[in-house]
Amino acid sequence: MKDIFFDLSVRSVRLNFMRSLLASIGIVIGVVAISSMGMLGTNMQLQVKDQLSSGADTIVITADAVRMGPPGSSSTTSTSAATGITKTQLNKIKLAAGPSSTLVPIYSTSTQFTLASVPGRSTVYGINPDDITKFLTIANGTNIGGVNDALVGSTFATNFNLKIGNRIRIGKDTDASRPVLRIVGILAPRGMSSDNVNTDNAIIVSDDWYTNQYGGKDIYRQVNVIVKNIDTIPDIESVIDAKLNTNKKSPEVRISDASSRLSSITSSLSSITTFILAIGGISLLVAATSIFNVMMMSVNERIQEIGILLSIGTEKGEVRRMFLYEAVILGILGAGVGGIGSLIIGYSVVSYMIGTTKYFFLPASFMYIPIGMVIGLVVCILSGLYPAWKASNMDPIDALRAE
Amino acid sequence: MTTPLIRFADVSKVYHLESGDFTALDHISLEIMDNEFVAIMGPSGSGKSTMMNQLGILDVPTAGELFIAERNVASLTALERTHMRRDTIGYIFQKFYLIPLLSAYENVEYPLILKYKKRDESGKAADVLKSVGFDEAMSAHRPNQLSGGQQQRVAIARALVNDPKILLCDEPTGNLDRKTGFQIMDILCGLHREGKTVILVTHDPKIAEYADRIITLEDGRITA
Repeated sequence: MKDIFFDLSVRSVRLNFMRSLLASIGIVIGVVAISSMGMLGTNMQLQVKDQLSSGADTIVITADAVRMGPPGSSSTTSTSAATGITKTQLNKIKLAAGPSSTLVPIYSTSTQFTLASVPGRSTVYGINPDDITKFLTIANGTNIGGVNDALVGSTFATNFNLKIGNRIRIGKDTDASRPVLRIVGILAPRGMSSDNVNTDNAIIVSDDWYTNQYGGKDIYRQVNVIVKNIDTIPDIESVIDAKLNTNKKSPEVRISDASSRLSSITSSLSSITTFILAIGGISLLVAATSIFNVMMMSVNERIQEIGILLSIGTEKGEVRRMFLYEAVILGILGAGVGGIGSLIIGYSVVSYMIGTTKYFFLPASFMYIPIGMVIGLVVCILSGLYPAWKASNMDPIDALRAE
Repeated sequence: MTTPLIRFADVSKVYHLESGDFTALDHISLEIMDNEFVAIMGPSGSGKSTMMNQLGILDVPTAGELFIAERNVASLTALERTHMRRDTIGYIFQKFYLIPLLSAYENVEYPLILKYKKRDESGKAADVLKSVGFDEAMSAHRPNQLSGGQQQRVAIARALVNDPKILLCDEPTGNLDRKTGFQIMDILCGLHREGKTVILVTHDPKIAEYADRIITLEDGRITA
């Protein structure tokens, strides 16, 4: 059975098609804004989570004091003053972590270099060649064998169009010694890694070469403890904490793992998502105003018709229903088109801004489309409530007199 | 003695305007029996429209009591009044007041839908349209595609479709040419003969002649 009030609403929308369309476009924009912003934020979070959880088996230990500037950037003299994980601490960590864990001590600093007479700057990591393959993947070439061998990250290689066998001159023009490194391998892309070893844009050298060049032997920037079973991470962390941070007021080392970093990063990402969702919400507010406006116009233009309906025995509730149907029709139109638009625009935005759409169809991300649609529809109905109430409460005599 | 279908018992209607109170109906007492044909006449502002609003249960008296079909209008709830408008009264307006978004047929079907909460499958709407001489071929047309006479026929059919006891006709021929006006009056006379109580407001003495009884209003009072 078709409801005549629904018919009347459809006809009214059709009669004022342009006006209804414009009001619906407001809802479309609002739905698209909410959905695509929400999906963008969620995809961002999912990607970061994914990248961080790739290092879920790693505990990162750094010296608690903050190092004041890279030691190798200007001269090699300041390195001895730099703080880091010392040999003694490393041994304690080794003891605490137990035989099943793998320890990777890492040196790192920032350096200038020259590549085919083009100067540049990047991070250089000094790692024992035997440790490199324990947590990094060489996509191309071989591991460091000789003293002057080096690996480079994937982005680094792409940016400088590097091939295996190319050479990098390390240091500033003014430096006395400017050693040359030979690239023997290119690492697989690592993304934003959870252990703070961001190799994509870096140079990796052997620990011997590093300490030769920059000094600071046995003072590591960080130590990665790779555990066998990630469930043991809390236990190992507490043992390390007990062994090294004996003075609670000034702890020697800072211990972190993927989950603690993950929660801090995802919490800040989710506040960003909330913020951009709020921006989308504002556009829905604007849409609500335009729906409200259109509904009020519809009521005002049809005062006489409302008078007729009421005077021949239409119940107030039925008049109210008629106008609410109209709001629902506008809402369904807007939300429907908005849903399709969100799919297209959201997909494009996510693929452009995040670079991958592999998280797009996951429930956590995709649910923003139905959520956006429902919010759009609800906003429409809410905007229609007052106009519908106004229409149903008109005095039929006054309404009939209106021209 | 039978109970009157409509009884005004000392009914007054006062409008509170910024310029002061305006008494539109001044202590009216009147009885209209079942199957009467009554014409209400009077100059503009004499209270004809106010009286029709009272009869149409669109308004309630300020003082006094109005009984329609033995029910005191003032004591009814808003919903009960709405249902009385739908079931007991058929209202025919000077300007026809058809629903512009509905076709001629749907305009007649509409009160049936209000009453039975479903589309008409009995064919009653079509029958009533036919009975007032409306061309069936025009059923699907919207009101703005119909002539004045055709619109008034649709309006009469709409007023009749729920089989009301009372037909209220507010200047039903006012917007029609003379010939069409008389055709419409013939239809109303026919309905009166079939047992309807017809109450007619008019300026036109020729039209008023169709009625059994003429009530003349002046300044809110019955003068004849």
